[in-house]
Amino acid sequence: MRRGLRSAFAVAAATVIGLTAGCSGGGNDSGKPVTLKFLSLAWQKDSLAANKRLVAEWNKANPKIQVQYVQGSWDNVNDQLVTSFEGGDPPDVIHDDSSALAGFAGQGYLTDLTKLIPTELKNDIPDAAWGTATFDGKGGQGIYGVPFLQESQVLLANKKMLDEAKVRIPTVDAPWTWDEFQQITKKLTVGKRYGIAWPLKSPVNKVLNLSLNFGGTFFQTSGGKTTVKVGPQEREVLQRIHDQLYKDKTADPSTLGMGTTDPLPGFYAGKYAMVPAGIYLRQQLVEQAPSGFQWVTIPPLKGQTTQQGAVSQTLSVAADSKHPEESMKFISWFLNGQHQADLAKGDWLIPTSKTAAQDPTLTSDKYGWNVATASAKSLVLAPYLKVNGFDEFKSKVATPALQSYFANKISLDELAKKLTDDGDKVLSRYAK
Amino acid sequence: MTATQTATRPPRTGRPHARPNPRGGGDRGTLLLLLPALVPVLLFSVGPLLYGIYLSLTDARGGRNAVISFVGLKNFGDVLADGDFWSSFKIGLIWAVGVTVLQFLAALGLALLLNQNLRLRGLARVLAMAPWAMPPIVIGLMWRLVYHPNAGILNATLQNLHLLDHNVDWLNDFGTALPAIIVVGVWTGMPQTTVVLLAGLQGVPKELHEAAAVDGASVWRRFWNVTLPQLRPVIVTITSLDFVWNINQFAMVYALTQGGPGGRTRLPMLFAYEEAFRYGFFGYAAALGVAITLVVLVVLGFYLWGRMRESAR
Repeated sequence: MRRGLRSAFAVAAATVIGLTAGCSGGGNDSGKPVTLKFLSLAWQKDSLAANKRLVAEWNKANPKIQVQYVQGSWDNVNDQLVTSFEGGDPPDVIHDDSSALAGFAGQGYLTDLTKLIPTELKNDIPDAAWGTATFDGKGGQGIYGVPFLQESQVLLANKKMLDEAKVRIPTVDAPWTWDEFQQITKKLTVGKRYGIAWPLKSPVNKVLNLSLNFGGTFFQTSGGKTTVKVGPQEREVLQRIHDQLYKDKTADPSTLGMGTTDPLPGFYAGKYAMVPAGIYLRQQLVEQAPSGFQWVTIPPLKGQTTQQGAVSQTLSVAADSKHPEESMKFISWFLNGQHQADLAKGDWLIPTSKTAAQDPTLTSDKYGWNVATASAKSLVLAPYLKVNGFDEFKSKVATPALQSYFANKISLDELAKKLTDDGDKVLSRYAK
Repeated sequence: MTATQTATRPPRTGRPHARPNPRGGGDRGTLLLLLPALVPVLLFSVGPLLYGIYLSLTDARGGRNAVISFVGLKNFGDVLADGDFWSSFKIGLIWAVGVTVLQFLAALGLALLLNQNLRLRGLARVLAMAPWAMPPIVIGLMWRLVYHPNAGILNATLQNLHLLDHNVDWLNDFGTALPAIIVVGVWTGMPQTTVVLLAGLQGVPKELHEAAAVDGASVWRRFWNVTLPQLRPVIVTITSLDFVWNINQFAMVYALTQGGPGGRTRLPMLFAYEEAFRYGFFGYAAALGVAITLVVLVVLGFYLWGRMRESAR
């Protein structure tokens, strides 16, 4: 008995020595496995399940590189990351979106992935998408995240009402123009029913993304200095939405203070014929809409073009991570074509991967997937992504100004003046 | 030699006279006994305070291995010129004064009620304490449900009573957001204030009331001329403490509105928080913190000075 115990000790001691020897020998081919922390912001049920399933699969197949799933939330990810970056203990693999990457890359918190990205992954994702994760970091321009999910702005419409009004159902190749859209909302506004509901509680990204339809960029850079511009191109979408609210009276003013998902109950109840939405909102319709409620996905509207500003969800590697190569290995596996298709289905968004876009579900006409997937070609890099200090501009200047404008408290000229004067002041804080 | 000795001696022998110490030689002992209490104070209050003051004199910004340089009072100059901050400070004052005054009035009423010989008084007193037991974040989340535009109990109740014909988004409407959070602030702070005032009320001698009653003073006269003057020191203390707590309130408002809509509820502490943790200007945020502290000290100083002078008269 005693001898058995002793020999057990000996074996244990030998393994410990062996392990430490393996470690000091360097490399991860032998010895102690590395553990990566993966901060995920998945929140929709299917997406959560897909994320966790993939992590479990990876851990089973890669005993040497273990991934620990850490649940984060879009609501407070910025604060969480700032504190963990400052504290020097950030997660290795970080899920976020491109608008957040600009700041973090500039502050040197993220690893430049340019040289780490395997060719296969590089080729599977189009350059336009890579553009949404390319920023000026401390060591020059680089790719600071792998873009994987994108969102386009569409309209969700009550099929029955469209049929009754006998309007043309648009396709991706023959979309509605803004003029046509405004005419149609007039037709759809009957009695107490409105043609459209604009939920504009957070108006900035929506307006800026849509304004690209008319070439409105809102920012200009000359001599390394970025300033705000509100010219005729920027005014188009602003004016048109305002007209629907106060001139045509085809948009329900009571939805102005609502967030994106809030008008849905009214939409089901037939209070308005259409709601503008990111494509992910289709999921809620599938889950919540009363049975028999028929809806269609209206592809992106056309101004001069159908172009919309795009941001991507991304996976990045922290600069303080001790295992950047292993992290990249995990990311490139996690975001291969098949997995991206799963993640896209889980979040009801468009995958950046060209292979994933071929997935039969993502091209079928069920739930408007074909429209959503095809709308990817309208997505271009959102100009504000490259603006240093956009976050502060958005929350201090643009959000209150746009809210006041859409509430008809200030005129378009006053709005333009506010955005440029106050906006330039904010942006000058960030000028290098 | 002797000259130097005599020259050095006076201060040494003079000490006991300059600083009379009745217990004799207890100086070191007192310090030693104070030490356990002092260490946490130095470590967790004075230390961070000094570090904050240091940061406020630098251009510290977020960034890996960021270089920090000393900029003197530049941050404070920027604070003075920052219109956004002062409008946020104005909101902070409306909030703090509003909450403190309403809280005091409501708590005084509740304390008077709980001081009566009611049935189930013990239970009522315990229930009145309930909000105290909740962390501010939980309070924020709970009230967000109460104010919810579609599913909130407030809209439902008001509509059932036919006081309202459509749902109001209390926390997102420019007009109602600030009043809505003030109501929550009053509700949250009432227990402390009530307890303190109740304790004060119990310290008012019964004889005074009896004497006044015998002299034929009405209930209102007795309250105004007996209870209130007796309560004055308690009132001064609790209102000034409430004011400081309220102007520094952060967690609850953060959970309720995060400073929205359009900055209508962006209290100064939220403003400083955003400067630091959202935009990464740590030095400037520290300067904001120091500025808020100074302004609160000045406001409070004036208030207490005024009260003291009044009671000295």
